[in-house]
Amino acid sequence: MSIAISGSTITFADLTTQTTAAGSGAGFKNRIINGDMRIDQRNAGASITQTTANDFVVDRWNVTGSVASKFTAQRNAGSVTPPSGYTNYLGITSLSSFSVSAGDYFRIMQPIEGFNVSDFSFGTASALPITLSFWVRASITGTYGGAISNASQARGYAFTYSVSSSNTWEQKTITIPGDTSGTWLTDNGVGIYLIIGLGAGSTFSAASGSWITQNYINTATGATSVVGANGATFYITGVQLEAGSTATDFERGPIGTELALCQRYFWKTLQPVQLDGYNVGGPIAYQYICNPTTMRATPTVSSNFSGQLSATGGVTNISVHGFQAVTTPTAGGVFRATYNTGNTISIEL
Amino acid sequence: MYKKSNYNNNVYWVEQSSYIPFDPANTDYQAYLKWLSEGNTPLPADTTAEENK
Repeated sequence: MSIAISGSTITFADLTTQTTAAGSGAGFKNRIINGDMRIDQRNAGASITQTTANDFVVDRWNVTGSVASKFTAQRNAGSVTPPSGYTNYLGITSLSSFSVSAGDYFRIMQPIEGFNVSDFSFGTASALPITLSFWVRASITGTYGGAISNASQARGYAFTYSVSSSNTWEQKTITIPGDTSGTWLTDNGVGIYLIIGLGAGSTFSAASGSWITQNYINTATGATSVVGANGATFYITGVQLEAGSTATDFERGPIGTELALCQRYFWKTLQPVQLDGYNVGGPIAYQYICNPTTMRATPTVSSNFSGQLSATGGVTNISVHGFQAVTTPTAGGVFRATYNTGNTISIEL
Repeated sequence: MYKKSNYNNNVYWVEQSSYIPFDPANTDYQAYLKWLSEGNTPLPADTTAEENK
């Protein structure tokens, strides 16, 4: 039994091969979370209409645009068959034939936490090349674009890829040289923004293929505008961003692991918590609720209660580990309130 | 719109029925600070914890 290693390829005794990306250790080569769009805690497959805010669709993926209501976003929109080996995709459907002006932009984005890309060493002389790969299915053929940028979005790299057949899944690979300049966070802030462009004007576009200092690059100059054709569709899945110059097979984590990775940024309560008390002089009833995993930073916690009986509800002592739901009596005697199912705990980037 | 909270180290975000902790890494808190810097002022806290009446 012997193996041979040549570059990034391992050849086994039976002549089968395995390719690994240089610089990527086993177990966490894909820096994209929920790249196969399996996890959808917020919407459970329901469609959302794009606004001018960063609205999350499936977990870790948000959509936005400079003008509201130009497209919808939905897990498995259009119910087409995903690429082989996948069960889900993120689907965009254009709602109009919108002609983008210089100051317009429309996009899909995943902000990646700095801790998870610190080994890329961006902003230093040791910056590694990175490779982006994904499956795309679009109703319009042509050259599409996207961008990588830093937390301040003052440093960016626009890229292009070609969709050659309409309504057909195609896998794309884009290798990007490491950026030796700029400021790149390696903590719990935004390490890298990955942006998939859906149409942008000149203010938010740049020539592809080089790192430049320009604010808010969303896509490559001249890239196809998905929002430019009413009913146009753009579906994407199997997104992977890894160190090195070689795209490797998509890293599919166990569902529990992937869910936990998502819940570092967002989760919502799936069971109600009833808080009862008996007021004989101003007591308050507390219930500590643990987060399912340590969160990125102290989250924003929604506070929807029901079933109030002589009580009001609130939230206090929020931390990365959990928070306290609180009921405060408004009269003597028995008081009660229920912290509802569906409350959100969010610390997205 | 924001309202001062009766609870520890957070502010109440009225439109979202949510509590925003005072953590600089929280983007909602960053937005609150920006809102304050524009000269806005949060509503006073309720006399009781009535944010969610």
